[in-house]
Amino acid sequence: MTPQDLLQLLSQRQVRRLRVIENLLRGRKTVSTLYWGQRYGLLYLLGLDKALQRGALDQVAQTLVTQRLAAWTQDEQPQLRLTPAGHTQQQATTYYHPQTALTWPRVDLKLVTQRLFLAVQVVSQYAHHNVQYYPLMTDLATQQAVRQWFHQIKSTALAQMVLTALTHSLTQLPELTAMVTTAGLSGYQQPGQTTAQLARTYQESAWEIYLRRVDGVIQIATDARKRDHPLHPLLAPAWQTPVTRSAQATLAAVTTTSLSLDQVAQQRHIKPSTVREHLLEAAIMLPVTAVPYDRLLPQTTRQDLLAALPGALDDWEYMALTPELQARYDFFTFRLLAIWCGKQGEMA
Amino acid sequence: MMESLTASLKRGFGHTTFREGQQAALTALEQHQDTLAVLPTGAGKTLIYQLYGYRHAGCVLIVSPLLALMTDQVNRMRVAGFRRVAAITSLTSYAERQVILAHFADYQFLFLSPEMLAQPTMLAQVQQLRLSLLVIDEAHCIVQWGPDFRPEYLLLGAIRERLARPLTLMLTATADSATQHEIAKQLRTTPQIITESIDRPNIFLDVEAVANDAEKRERLLQLVSQLVFPGVVYFSSKQLASDMAQWLQEQTGLPIAAYHAGLSSEDRFKIQQQFMAGELAVICATSAFGMGIDKNDIRYVIHYHLPTDLGSYAQEMGRAGRDGQQSLAVLLSAPGDERLPLTLMEANRPDDTTIQRFYAHPQAFDSDDPGIALLTFYYQHGISLAAVQTLFTRREQERHHALAQMLAYAREPDCLRDRWLTAFGQADSTHTAKCCAPAKVPLDLAALGLKRTVQPAVNPVTLDWRARLETLFLSNN
Repeated sequence: MTPQDLLQLLSQRQVRRLRVIENLLRGRKTVSTLYWGQRYGLLYLLGLDKALQRGALDQVAQTLVTQRLAAWTQDEQPQLRLTPAGHTQQQATTYYHPQTALTWPRVDLKLVTQRLFLAVQVVSQYAHHNVQYYPLMTDLATQQAVRQWFHQIKSTALAQMVLTALTHSLTQLPELTAMVTTAGLSGYQQPGQTTAQLARTYQESAWEIYLRRVDGVIQIATDARKRDHPLHPLLAPAWQTPVTRSAQATLAAVTTTSLSLDQVAQQRHIKPSTVREHLLEAAIMLPVTAVPYDRLLPQTTRQDLLAALPGALDDWEYMALTPELQARYDFFTFRLLAIWCGKQGEMA
Repeated sequence: MMESLTASLKRGFGHTTFREGQQAALTALEQHQDTLAVLPTGAGKTLIYQLYGYRHAGCVLIVSPLLALMTDQVNRMRVAGFRRVAAITSLTSYAERQVILAHFADYQFLFLSPEMLAQPTMLAQVQQLRLSLLVIDEAHCIVQWGPDFRPEYLLLGAIRERLARPLTLMLTATADSATQHEIAKQLRTTPQIITESIDRPNIFLDVEAVANDAEKRERLLQLVSQLVFPGVVYFSSKQLASDMAQWLQEQTGLPIAAYHAGLSSEDRFKIQQQFMAGELAVICATSAFGMGIDKNDIRYVIHYHLPTDLGSYAQEMGRAGRDGQQSLAVLLSAPGDERLPLTLMEANRPDDTTIQRFYAHPQAFDSDDPGIALLTFYYQHGISLAAVQTLFTRREQERHHALAQMLAYAREPDCLRDRWLTAFGQADSTHTAKCCAPAKVPLDLAALGLKRTVQPAVNPVTLDWRARLETLFLSNN
């Protein structure tokens, strides 16, 4: 990621923690990362760069600060805010905004990319009657899934069907995104271009090219949710609920029984704090209707807390509440309220 | 009666003649003789065990130290039409391993890393197999790498005993007679030794002496600008390979890419395939690039850094000119170039104090550190402190000696080929002007027929995405 890529992830109005951005990219799903990821509107970054090293953005951020485009603010963690010059530059730059970003946390990107790319290669070689070629290097599970899919669907019409389907998906995206996605595919007599090569060709950063490619891949995966899509059997399993299995089980226990949270913990053999983390994770990642807010946040609780808290959500601090309020409401309740309020804003 | 080797070659591989050394090695194996084949890079060593496996029932077990490349070997064998092939290394996921183990007895060719084979459970599984042939690939690693990187190679002798001494083929491109002797001793066998000259007469050897790094960069640019391609430039760092690929591309306008272990496997695949397809003029690589590249028309290999020994230098420059056409190997050499390999050597080796402290409190150390992992290995195998110290000291001496030989090559005033071959006990005294150009002799690309005369076409036509998709999926016939 270059400084110009990071610039796009910062804001003049909102101070942002560098570590949150880093952890989002690395796919760390702690409640704190998810909460702030949502507050920043950056949840789509989740797991986009799992190989990113801890601290890898520090130097990139420092470059922005040196260029006076961003400034550090005092906190226990490194936090950044865009300067007016940074804001001007951000607004003046044409930068790619992925169209499908909202759905990204719900797709297993690695799975869908590996399967799609190998399937395209296999179908392309098949269309050209070539059986001797180097397959893309993927894990065995991908190879097996693609092999199974291919043997079930193989027909003389397959290549045309895939071509039509991919064309339909890519037509919905900007031309350059369609171009980048297509140029990255490997197949018969086309090794495919790397992200770095495409970045050079189209004079964009490798990160921006990567965002375009993810957009292209997810658009295809979205269209493949329809049952009559030729890639449906292969790509549909990549769609997942964005909360962990364990959190789903906790949420189900809370919504379908009248057990208290501590009783749920006992029943599920997990710590009471884990139950609360699961609920917060679900609250952040799922629609407002999926979580029983009325039960977890009774009207009086909301009124009590809202009366004591500042208007701007990002200025809320649990430790700034009076000791009396802290004694009455735990951090879980406080954070859940913040998520609920945030979701109201999203709905408005 | 079994069909002749030549008939099998024709039927199974579509070739009519063997390359030098292949037939001799196969004949020895057919007579149930353990065989050590010292054949130059590009001589087609893999065909030996492929053909043997093709002719005999049972499983050919190949032990190879090059983890990342084993998957590639498996793919290449599949491309060549062998379907029952698998590899298990530390990089193989648990799930994948389970699938392979479930069909273990069905494989015709199995690739295992030495550390995988050394695991008792794996060894027990292998003992159940009907082995037709045990292949020790890169057999020089028993001697060369063993004490530094892959101690498991030292266990191969004992493992071979546990497997009831199957017929064994040892393969290497580089082994002087001392190394050959040591390989045989470690594997507890008296093999028939098949050697072919390691010389590659069609590769012109050149050393270019430069004063410093800036001059080296300029000379590299000149060469890449003038030479016919494709070519490979080797660097000892991933970062430099990437940076120089970009710089050279900007300066020359040629399609150039970097290839190293830091790239994603998808990118490595693409770069490799682009190079094979002739879409790239030059690859800036680290030593990760090489095996699996079956490209016969590489016209030159340039080394930007001093390799650590002549053996690895010969391996890398030997990728040039496999088609037998005139090719070139250039070593760019600046004063002080030996510092980098020296530093790398030291970084790889635990010092005496560490060894002593480790033996006093082995539990107190983090085995994630490769040096410590190595010490842990020795410790667990009951090797004494004194023996380990001796081992490291001896190994350090060997490496210094190897580096000194490499330096002597870089500084050789008369005949580079003679210097190289002598180091491997294959002296050659027929120096001619067509043989090499040591540092003080100027390089004449035109005389070699390697000077580019036509300007390459800039940027290929980029297809519109719809057209590109169509060419992917629609066949013209």
